[in-house]
Amino acid sequence: MAEKLLASATEATRYQREWFRDLRKSAAAGGPLALVNADAPQEIFRAMGIPYVVNQWWASVVAAKQRAPHHLDLLREQGYPDHTEQYSSISLASLFDPDPHLAPWGGLPRPTIVLAETVGDGGRKIFDVWGSQPGITYYALESAAENTVPVNWWDLMPHDWEKAVGKARLDLMEAELCNLVRFLETTTGQVFSERALRRVLDLVNEQAEWNRRTRDLIARTTPSPLAVTDSIPSVMIPQWHRGTEWARDAAQRFYEEVEARVRSGAAVCEGERARLMWIGRGLWYDMDFYRRFEERHGAVFVWSMYLAIAADGYPRYGDNPLRTIAARFAAFNDQLYTPPWSSEWYVKEARLHGVDGVVHLVSDDARGSYFTNRALRAAGIPVYELHADNVDTRSLRDSTERDVEEWLEREVLARRAG
Amino acid sequence: MRSPLRRLVDHYERRYPVDVDGPVIGCVGQDVPVELVTAAGALPVRLAGRPGLDVAEGEKYLGRGVDPATLSVLTRLLNGEYGRLDRLLVSRDCEGSLRLFYAVRELRRLEPGLGLPETHLVDVLHLPHWTTARYNQVRFAELVAVLERWTGTRLTAPKIASAIMLHDARRDLWRAVSALRRDLRLTGAQALAAFGAVLPVAEHNRLLRELLKSDLDVHRGRRVFFTGSSHDNPNVYWLLEEMGSVVVGEDHDWGDLLATRLVGEPTLAALVERYQYNGPTAARASIAARAAHTAQAAAESGAELVVSYVRRNDDAPPWDFPAQREALRPHGIPAVLFDRQEYGLIDLSEVFVG
Repeated sequence: MAEKLLASATEATRYQREWFRDLRKSAAAGGPLALVNADAPQEIFRAMGIPYVVNQWWASVVAAKQRAPHHLDLLREQGYPDHTEQYSSISLASLFDPDPHLAPWGGLPRPTIVLAETVGDGGRKIFDVWGSQPGITYYALESAAENTVPVNWWDLMPHDWEKAVGKARLDLMEAELCNLVRFLETTTGQVFSERALRRVLDLVNEQAEWNRRTRDLIARTTPSPLAVTDSIPSVMIPQWHRGTEWARDAAQRFYEEVEARVRSGAAVCEGERARLMWIGRGLWYDMDFYRRFEERHGAVFVWSMYLAIAADGYPRYGDNPLRTIAARFAAFNDQLYTPPWSSEWYVKEARLHGVDGVVHLVSDDARGSYFTNRALRAAGIPVYELHADNVDTRSLRDSTERDVEEWLEREVLARRAG
Repeated sequence: MRSPLRRLVDHYERRYPVDVDGPVIGCVGQDVPVELVTAAGALPVRLAGRPGLDVAEGEKYLGRGVDPATLSVLTRLLNGEYGRLDRLLVSRDCEGSLRLFYAVRELRRLEPGLGLPETHLVDVLHLPHWTTARYNQVRFAELVAVLERWTGTRLTAPKIASAIMLHDARRDLWRAVSALRRDLRLTGAQALAAFGAVLPVAEHNRLLRELLKSDLDVHRGRRVFFTGSSHDNPNVYWLLEEMGSVVVGEDHDWGDLLATRLVGEPTLAALVERYQYNGPTAARASIAARAAHTAQAAAESGAELVVSYVRRNDDAPPWDFPAQREALRPHGIPAVLFDRQEYGLIDLSEVFVG
């Protein structure tokens, strides 16, 4: 495992373990617990004091501990597919684990409610299985789509999200969230306070603004002051705690630490020869992957979507709190996976960070890669398409790293040298 | 004089290119409310893929993770195989259709020289909630406006009512076709043809009525019910029926599911509800709804075996299968899963179902 350079990354990991211990205690005492998808609204749970675990975060922990194959085996034994939507289904396997004490961090406690949008064809089925278990309710949100969208969502989203997302989708999700509040009030006995929710939303925006400063600072700094293996925990662990003062302050500490490194001229790779962008989910089972290119080639992954989407994808300002949350999530996936939003945003980010090349992780799912790669190449940026799943090690070919290195030498480093 | 069955099969096998007067609107997916297209005076033509076609073009734009049936549709669209399509309506009946819409939208923006038709997404959603119904009402109103703009025809309430009645009549006729098949007077492949022939709805209805009155052979074979992926072509039915089975029913949207739910009342409001609650399809319904429907439909069709046939990259059906198998157990109907099959093919080497 790559050594963490940043105190903020170490501190975030420490905090997360402590939080998870407390969460397990609370669940064991019979308190409500939510399991939520990463792209689903979590702010209402925060405001009501209902603890939650993010589905994909737990999958990343399982994969990092090399337990994903075991979890996929468990799904297969139940007759469920182990070859689709692995990132979303790995947590589900926890329900069927005969040895839960062997799971990372003591194991995922059993939730009482699961929340997810009905994205894709298989995604909602995973949550159907959760919801079929005794004591667990699946609260499903629609995943709606729009015919025409303005391209520059990153400019519009903070304040002009009504224009970016569209009225129909916002009306739908606002109504669904209104009903969610009533559902949670009824089933958990917890109190919903609009005042508390507004405070949560303010904190989320403050956190996003710190992330934006950090992103901008990293974008304009050469050589890169940190590795993505540091930025990912420093931004994502606070992301899953957004709406708390700890998370807002963690984002600030992250910025200040990066800023201090920039001021002192610290570089993650002294002999930086190329700046790379990693498009796609984190390769959780082999985070050292990113660092090996620094060591061998002076090629630094300066960009991952985690900090960038934290900077551009989360800020939302508005008077109506539920509609403002809807604006954050009603089109969240489009930001990352639907052209022209996704493709044009990646080009914008590539230019902002002055990257020399892009490695695009493409899973065998329906999201596709053509339009993003086309847009990047049209902007003069070489792209390597890496076909693998980010949690399922079976999908990674033995030759992958060598292939990326050859591409790097051929299309990125040689070009720079020329 | 060819028999009504022969004529239906011919219309099905030669679905494209379409050669008619008047506007032709291509439809992707079963969630396009064809009643509104008919009301606008246009011919709705549902687009099917073609097994055996090299889908490299479709895969180039959609990637390797999309159902090959959708890749085939996009490839045919790019090749111009459907003939004249004045416009395209894409529904959100599965992820593949949605991704196809995004690809066409983007290709029209970036590569207008490809000549893809103007396209509109019909985002019908399916959660059984009032919030979803209200959203769908908005999307239907938008569609009415789009069709009026495209065709220059005002979609008045009487026009919509008349179209609904025509399409509901066809659903009633399709139900009668399903009954014929349950009596083994049609094979599964023949029933698919009766469902999927591309004709103006009034003409289709006339031909279906003739079929119902005609003399039909009685077939023999093991009674099989299909669940899993949809079948926009008869190839897998042929392969199974050649081995001595008859597909007596299915729960996909190129077959029996087309007629499961009528609109009932000739109003736009009823039409919206029909499309929201239609199904349950694998891609859009819950596991519980699917299992209950499959068990009931298989039992009613007198099936001796349920085959869940799942194409590569069709993500939903494998999740349904364990619950479907359980729901079939009280009926004494065994179930078998053929997962990750290639488009238009079924690998029968490991499980003999004849």
